[in-house]
Amino acid sequence: MIDFLIALIENTLYSATVVLLGALGAIINEKSGVVNIGVEGVFILSAFSTVYFTLASGNLAIGILLALVVSGLAGLIHGLISIYLRGDQVIIGVGFNMVAAGLTIVMMVTTWGDYSQTPQIQKLQGLQFTIGGKVFIIPLFSIVAILVGLAEWFILEKTKYGLVLKACGDEPRAAEAMGINVFRTRLLATVLGAVVMGLGGVFLSAEWFGNYTKATTAGRGFIALANEAFSNWNPAMAIAGALLFGFFEALSISLPIQLQSMLGRQFTAETYLFKMMPYVATIIVITMVMKKIRMPRALGKPYIKE
Amino acid sequence: MPEASNYMRIVKVIIEEAVSLLVGFAVAVIILLFSGYEPLSVISILFSEGFRNTEVLMKQSIPVIATGLAFSIPALAGLFNIGGESQLYIGAFTGLVSTYIIYNATGQPVLSSVTGLVSGTLAGGFWGFIIGYLRARRSVNEVVVAIMMNWTTYYLVLYLIVSRFTDPIYSHMSVFVPASSRIPDVLGFIMIAGVAVLTYIVLRYSSLGYSIRVAGLNPKAAVYAGFNLEKIFITAMSISGAIAGLGGALFVLSVIYSIDTTMSAIYGLGFLGIGIGLLGRNNPIGVVLAGLFISGLQFGGQWVELRTGAPPYLTDVVIGIIVIALSATYTYELLVSKLRRG
Repeated sequence: MIDFLIALIENTLYSATVVLLGALGAIINEKSGVVNIGVEGVFILSAFSTVYFTLASGNLAIGILLALVVSGLAGLIHGLISIYLRGDQVIIGVGFNMVAAGLTIVMMVTTWGDYSQTPQIQKLQGLQFTIGGKVFIIPLFSIVAILVGLAEWFILEKTKYGLVLKACGDEPRAAEAMGINVFRTRLLATVLGAVVMGLGGVFLSAEWFGNYTKATTAGRGFIALANEAFSNWNPAMAIAGALLFGFFEALSISLPIQLQSMLGRQFTAETYLFKMMPYVATIIVITMVMKKIRMPRALGKPYIKE
Repeated sequence: MPEASNYMRIVKVIIEEAVSLLVGFAVAVIILLFSGYEPLSVISILFSEGFRNTEVLMKQSIPVIATGLAFSIPALAGLFNIGGESQLYIGAFTGLVSTYIIYNATGQPVLSSVTGLVSGTLAGGFWGFIIGYLRARRSVNEVVVAIMMNWTTYYLVLYLIVSRFTDPIYSHMSVFVPASSRIPDVLGFIMIAGVAVLTYIVLRYSSLGYSIRVAGLNPKAAVYAGFNLEKIFITAMSISGAIAGLGGALFVLSVIYSIDTTMSAIYGLGFLGIGIGLLGRNNPIGVVLAGLFISGLQFGGQWVELRTGAPPYLTDVVIGIIVIALSATYTYELLVSKLRRG
C-alpha cells in the first residue's frame, strides 16, 4: 500500500509539473492580450534543445540555459508577428507547433541518424526522502513550478506590473492613454511567457525522461492550455488544476498495477480504458465547476494604434 | 462595382498565398542547405513524385479535406474545432465495424458499405455535438473539451479494436473491410469533394450559412438581430463532426481497409486538417485544393526520403512555415503601401 501511495504522489507531481508550467506561461501571454496555442511547440523545442545543447557542451546547466533562450526566441518571433505584423495569433500557433515537431525530428536525424530518440543525458536528481524504508522523490521542477505559480499570482493580483499587464489584455486603448506602451508590454509578455513554458520542456528531458523522443511531449502542451482555461486565467487555480489532472493521470498508471496484483491477473486491452481516465475526469470536472468564462477582453485582437 | 472589388479580392488572396508558399519553400531551402542536402533535387522530387499519381493523390487527400472542412465550418462561426482528430477516429472505427458486421450478417456489399458511411457520419456528428452542446449550454471552452475528447477517443478506439475487433491473422491490425464492400477507385474522393461543394452552397446561399457567418463576424450583433447563438454553435459543431466522421469512414472503406493497433494510419490527420482549413481560407473549395496540395507534398516527402535520405518530416516544417506566413497578411499590405509611397 505504501508503494502504491508513493508512486501515486510521485507520478502526480511529475505529470502536474509540466501541465502547470505550460499553463503559467500561457497565462502571462494571454493576460497581455496575446493568444499562444503554441505551448506544445515550445515544449518540443525546449525539451529537444535541452538534450541537444547538453550533449554539445557536456554541461546540463548550459543545456538548460540555452533551451530557455530558444524558448524565449520562439516567444519573440510569436510576439513580433502577432503584435507588430498583426498576424492571426491562433494560426501562428498552429503553424509553430508543426514547425517545432518537424524541425526537431529533422535535426534528430541529421545529428544522430535516429528517427525515434536522442541519446540519454545525465538527469537532475530530485529531493529524496525515506518514508518507512521507501525512497520518495520530489522533483526539483515541481518546487520551481509551484513557486513560479505563487509568484505569478502575487505579481498579477497585488502589484503594479500585474495591473499594467492586465490593462493591455483588457483595455489596450485605455492602457495606452495611461502612458503604457502596449506593444512593448505585450512583446515582453510573449517572451517571458514562452520562457516559463520552456521550463516545462526543460523539465521533461532534464528531470523526467533524460532524452527526447517523438512521444516526450505527448500533447501535454494542449493539456496545459486546457488547464489555463480551467483556471480561468488565475495562476493559483492553475496549480490546483494541474494537481487534479496529474492525480488522475497518476491514478491511471498506478491503479491498474495495483489491481493486477490484487486480482492476480494481467490486464491487456483494459489498460487503454484506464488511460482514458484523466481526460474523461477533466471533462466531467470542468463541466461541473465551469462558471462564466472570464478571459482577457482584448484577447487575440491585434492592437492597432490610431 | 461589386464585380471589380470581388475580382481584386481574389487576386489579393492568390498573391498572399503565393508569397506565403515562396516563404515556406525559402525556409525549407535554408534548412536543407544547413543539414547538407541538395535543395533543388529535394524540391523537384517533392513535386514530381508527389503529384505524379493522381489516383493516389485523390485517395490520400480524402481524410484531410474532411478534417479541413470540419475545422473551417466552426471557424466561420467563431469556434475553434481542434477535435477533428477524434471525430475522424470515431468515424473511421464505426464505419469499419458496421460495414464488417452488416456484411457478415447479410452478405450485401452495397448495403454494408452504405451503412458504414452513414454510421461513421452519425458517430462523428455526435462527437461534434457533445463539444457544441457543452460550449453552448454549459459555456465550457470548446478547445478544452475537444482536446480531452481526442485522447479519450484515441484510447477508446484502441480498447475496442484490441479487445473485440483484432484481425485473426494480423494481430497488430483490426478486422479488414470485406473485399466486396470496399469503395472502388476515386469514388471516395468524389464523395468528399461533393460534400465540399454542398458545404460551399449551404454556407453561401442558405439562411443557416448566413447565420453561421454572422455569428462569427459579430456575435453581439447576431444576438441583437435575433439569431440563436447556442443553436448555431451546436449545429455548426455537429455538421463539422459529421463531415470529419464521414472522412474517417471513407478513408477506411476506400484506402486503408483496416486500422492498426498504434493508429499510425489515422493519427494526426485531424491536426493537419487545421492547417488545411487555414490554407484554404475556410472556403470549402479552397479546402479541397489545399488538401490535394498538402497531400501531394506529404506523399512526395516519402519519395524524397527514399531517393535522398532527407527526412519526410521536412514537409511538416514547410507546411508550418507556410501557415505562419499566411497568418500575417497585414505584412503584405504594409509592404505594398511602403512601396507605393516609395
